[in-house]
Amino acid sequence: MRRRRGSLWLGLAVCLVGALSNLFYFLNPPGQAALPWISLLVPIAGFAIVVFGLWRTYALPENYGGRILGPVFAIVCLILAGGSMSGFFHARDLPASARAPRVGQKAPDFTLADSEGRMVSLSQLLAGPGEKSGPPKSVLLIFYRGYW
Amino acid sequence: MRGIQRHIDEFTAQRVKPVAISVDSPDVSRNFKQRRGPTFTFLSDPSAEVIRRYDLLHVGGGPGEHDISRPAEFLLDSSGTVRWVNFTEDVRVRARADEMLSVARDINKVVAVPPGGKTIL
Repeated sequence: MRRRRGSLWLGLAVCLVGALSNLFYFLNPPGQAALPWISLLVPIAGFAIVVFGLWRTYALPENYGGRILGPVFAIVCLILAGGSMSGFFHARDLPASARAPRVGQKAPDFTLADSEGRMVSLSQLLAGPGEKSGPPKSVLLIFYRGYW
Repeated sequence: MRGIQRHIDEFTAQRVKPVAISVDSPDVSRNFKQRRGPTFTFLSDPSAEVIRRYDLLHVGGGPGEHDISRPAEFLLDSSGTVRWVNFTEDVRVRARADEMLSVARDINKVVAVPPGGKTIL
């Protein structure tokens, strides 16, 4: 009789799907706040399924196979789950920014060089000279990590 | 950033001026703009002075333990008052352009709120 190893394959598939969920960040999709949890928990769930399958392989060897496949899948899933955990904590390791300007406060003025080296101040940006349609009604400051 | 450029016409139509700020030098920003095509303003804060003033400094967050800015977005009205902020909990999750446009639309709609409380649209 052929011995079953379905949970090993299932666990690996779940791990891979979890790892692939990382590609969705680039799409910036609606509901993306759930993505970090998906890319954290799905690979861990996959690893747990593989461990369960591995346990069956050794506890019930007459019914369940995968003595070679099982440990290989377990290592692959452990790496994926570990990577997703470290990615999760690394991505959320951000300063609290408790003293950052809040809604209702004036944004502190500043003067910085633009990409052509011209000095530009926030008050200049707020006053225009705007685009075709006059001075801007609002300025959206986007602080980003940079491309170095 | 890509999302903003994709919606740049809508930002212009709403008279919202996007301004990107990071520790990148003007050269890096110019290069990035040439390569990837954003047309809006990029400002350089290599000493992180403004980033620090806005309490956004992520100490050692960049390559080689470089101090960089954490991601954050502020929507200011024409008086420079903050009307909306977004501090992401996860660097992989960024504000969507359509979210920011809809906030800007709401803010810009309200011209004045007189003491009586009636909103003039």
